[in-house]
Parts: sequence; structure tokens; C-alpha cells
Amino acid sequence: MSNKLAILFVAGVTALCAQETPLDNWVKINLPVDSPLTLISTDLGESHLSPRGSAVVLDLDVALTLHNSSPNRVRGVTLLVAAQEVTPGGKASVSVPSLDVAPNRNFPVRINLRLLRPAQMRGGPLVEVNLDGVLFQDYSFYGPNRLESRRTMIAWEMQAQRDRKYFNSILEARGMDGLKQAMLESLNRQAERPRLDVQVSRGRAVTSAAGAERAVRFAFLRFPDEPVEPVEGWAEIAGNEARNPRIDVHNTSARQVRSVEIDWMVTDRQGKQYMAGSVPASGPEFNLKAGATSRVLQDTALRLSRLANDGGAPLSIAGMTGFVGQVEFADGKVWIPNRESLANAQLLGILEPSPEEQRLMDLYRKKGPKALADELNKF
Amino acid sequence: MTHPDQTILALYAGQDLGWFRRRRTERHLASCRQCRNEVQAFASARDHLVALNELPAISWNRLAIEMKANIRLGLAAGECVRGERMASRLGLFGIFSGARALAACASVVALVTAGLFLERPTPPAPPAIASDGAVLRATANGIELNQGGQTLSLLHVRSVDVTYSAGAQGSMRAGYVDSDTGNVPINNVYVQ
Repeated sequence: MSNKLAILFVAGVTALCAQETPLDNWVKINLPVDSPLTLISTDLGESHLSPRGSAVVLDLDVALTLHNSSPNRVRGVTLLVAAQEVTPGGKASVSVPSLDVAPNRNFPVRINLRLLRPAQMRGGPLVEVNLDGVLFQDYSFYGPNRLESRRTMIAWEMQAQRDRKYFNSILEARGMDGLKQAMLESLNRQAERPRLDVQVSRGRAVTSAAGAERAVRFAFLRFPDEPVEPVEGWAEIAGNEARNPRIDVHNTSARQVRSVEIDWMVTDRQGKQYMAGSVPASGPEFNLKAGATSRVLQDTALRLSRLANDGGAPLSIAGMTGFVGQVEFADGKVWIPNRESLANAQLLGILEPSPEEQRLMDLYRKKGPKALADELNKF
Repeated sequence: MTHPDQTILALYAGQDLGWFRRRRTERHLASCRQCRNEVQAFASARDHLVALNELPAISWNRLAIEMKANIRLGLAAGECVRGERMASRLGLFGIFSGARALAACASVVALVTAGLFLERPTPPAPPAIASDGAVLRATANGIELNQGGQTLSLLHVRSVDVTYSAGAQGSMRAGYVDSDTGNVPINNVYVQ
């Protein structure tokens, strides 16, 4: 009995200690001394700690105000968020693309993080936020680029310019009615886009009920101007799990390629196609010289299910399709498919919209076609 | 083309129609974007009501903005197709709608029968992926990394529509519009 009381007492004191710890000590924001962004303020808003049994849930609601102290306009920023004590193998990032922050202006970045960890853990700051990269209007980049945020942000920026150009051309050719029609089509596509619930795990996964494993070959979509073409590829399929995708790609361009990203679609037994994810390859081990062939390979398992509001049943994978979604050359330039190619391949209704298209759709929904036209005419 | 009235569409959005009416409405929706938009507007209004019960704190301003946006969208969609609808009301083939419904019912019966013969059973739900490493998954309000019982979740709290994508290098991404700033933050969680 006395042991039980002692355990209860210790647990109570631990929980109280955890609740009373000032939250400021849990988060550390690190910006390099020569960073083009400076931290103006950190607001922890409604952040709180709450005990859950022998564990503690930390809800962090961090609102950062950053200042553009560079002479260039900022188009995107990526922050690396690490909680090494909680998930030693995990990290997170928050990116904000499609920005247009003039020199000497402030802008907000919010990070909402929830950590579940044992109550007795002690140590330094639990969450560290570091700058991974800043992209400027002229495509120049600052930052350690640990997450390859340079390539990702350049690709988003190119998608933004591609999509703005598309909606601008509609506005010029067909006026406000045409723009409205195009926006409604985008919103309709977004509402009807087939979606899946996807789980990702690294390494060899073992399941007992997924069924016999078989190697399934990828079918590929080709774009006329793609600098790298997929040659052949497979993945192991067992029921609703797809593992270890490996795709051979051939560099048809005259330039060396630093990284390639193959977008991966799956087809169910009714013939409906869904985006499953992407298969990227980069790093020093991936070196694709002009005219060479190399292999894109990932040791990962994806488990695919229908969404909960669609029954949540495991998706029976009948086929797979891939296409080149992104190529980064050794000189840092990036290639993405153009809008016409995506439309011709009937991919616009399956692919997620670009961040800029999402932003423009939201602007249209909330403020109407006039505000959208003004935004498109800005730059 | 004869469009179902607003009551039917609202009941359809709430999944409150009877079987026959539901099938008939589905058949119409398959070929009518305007009615699909209306159903979508009803469904999102309904989602807002559900969300009201779930949210501990309600941002009324944000909700008002979202509702205004949906109303604006409904009106715009209506405007765009009004001309088309007026023209279609003058069509002569509406009188055959009963015969078409009968044909559709016969087709549905044939389809269901064929489906019973051809459809392979859906595999049973397998247990959670058993691996030594961590698992990433999308939850109702964010991306969760679970490793040895400890979790890290990156949440999106000021958003309605979120797009997720998985990376085979071991990552998951969520893109959404922050309703406070209008920016499109992209959260990414990686597992190694």
C-alpha cells in the first residue's frame, strides 16, 4: 500500500514539475549570425503542457515574426524543427513558399508541434528550430540546405510562376468570366481529386495478413521535354503495401543531373488512379552524367488505405504508374513538367495543386475574382 | 436535362436520401458539374456544423470568412452555368426521364450481378506495419511520427483543406492555406 502511495506521490510531483516548467525553456530558435532573416519576436501563444498517465503532452504553438534584412525579396523560407530527445531518428520542417516579402519587412511563420514523451525526461531545450534555407526572387539561396530545401523551394517557385502565367493568360484571353471559370474548374478538381490514407515506414516491414508479395512493374508516362526518362521499374506489392521501389532512369539531356524525383501513382482494381507519393534520388551516390543510366532506389514501405470517410478499407493495388516530377541539374537549375504536359496526360485531376494554385484558389474563394486579378497583375 | 431541386441535393449531401432517389441523383451528378458544386457547398456547410461540435475554441471570424467564401463560390458557380441551365430546360427529352431511370435501374442490377461474380474480395485489414523503425502517418489534424511509443506531430490548426503527399525516402508532407495569413505553409516530417 505504501509503495502505491509513493508511486502516486512521485507521479503527482513529476506532473506538477512538468506543468510548472516555463515553456520558454523548451524551445530554442537558432538563426546564424550572417542570416538574411532576423528574429523579431517569438510568441508561444496557447502552448501548454498536460500530463497523460506517465507521459507528458507538450503542445507548442509558436508564432515567429521574422524580418527580411537582405536587399532582396524573399520568396520562400524553410525552418528545420528537431526534437532529438523524443524521436532520435525523426525531424520536421516548416516551409512557407509563395511569399513576396520586400526588404526590411516582417513576416510571420507559425509552428504547431505536439510531442508525447515520458514525464521524467530532463535536459536542455526539447525543440530546436534552425534555419535551413531562404530563397530569394532571383533564385539565389542562403542556408545550410540540410533538407535539400533549395531544390524544393526552387521547384515550388517554378510551379508558382507556371501557374500564375496560366491564370494570367486566361485573364488576358477570356477576361474575368474566363478567370472565374478556370478557378471553378480548379476548385472542382481539388474537391474531386482521389485521395488515400498513406503510412510510411523505413526499412523492411513485415506483415502477416497483407498476402503474398509480388514484384509489380511500373508503367510510365512520358513528357515531350523531359530531360530524364524512366526506363523500367518495379516495387514489391503485398495487398495494400508497396515496398522498395526501384526505377532505372536515363539522362537524355546534355547536362549532368544531381537529383531526380519520380511521382508514383497506384491504380485500384476498379481502375481508379491515386497519387501514392514520390520516389526521389539525390546525394553523392546518385550521379547521372549526360547520356548515362542510373537507378532510383528507396528502402521504404507505403501502406495505402481508403480515407476513413470512404470506409477506410485497405487499397488493393492493381497497378502502378510513374512519371518524372522534378529534375535538378548539377548547375542548380531545376526542371518541372509544364502545365500543358500535365493536362495532356490527364494528371491535373490526380496531382495535388501547387502551393501557389492553392493560395490563388483560397484568395478567389474568400475575396472574389477582382482580388485574384489584382494579385495576378502584381508580378 | 432536369436538375434535382435544392432539397434533394441537400438531403443527398447529408446522405439522407432513400436508395432509389440516391442512385438517381448520383446518376445526374455524374454528368452535371453545377449540381455537384451545389452538393459540395451543402456538404462543406454540414462539415462546418460537425466541426462546431468538435472544436474546443471556435474562431467565429475565421468561420464567417469561410462561410462567406463558400457562398461566394456557390453564387459564382451558379452564374457560370445559368445560361447552360436555361438552355437545357427547353430540351424536349425530359419526358423520357422515367424510361431512362428504368433503363438505369436495369443497368445497375446487371452491374451489381456482374460485380458479385467478378469482384475479388478486398484483402482484410492487415495489422499496423511491424518494423523496427518509426512510422509516419497523417492524422485528422497533422502528420504524426511514432517511434517507440513517443510521438512528434506537426499540426495544421488554421486550415480547412489539406493536401498530403508521401515521399519514399521516408517523409510525409502536408500543404494547407493558413486562414489567418493566406500563406501556404508546408509541413514535412521525416523518418530516418
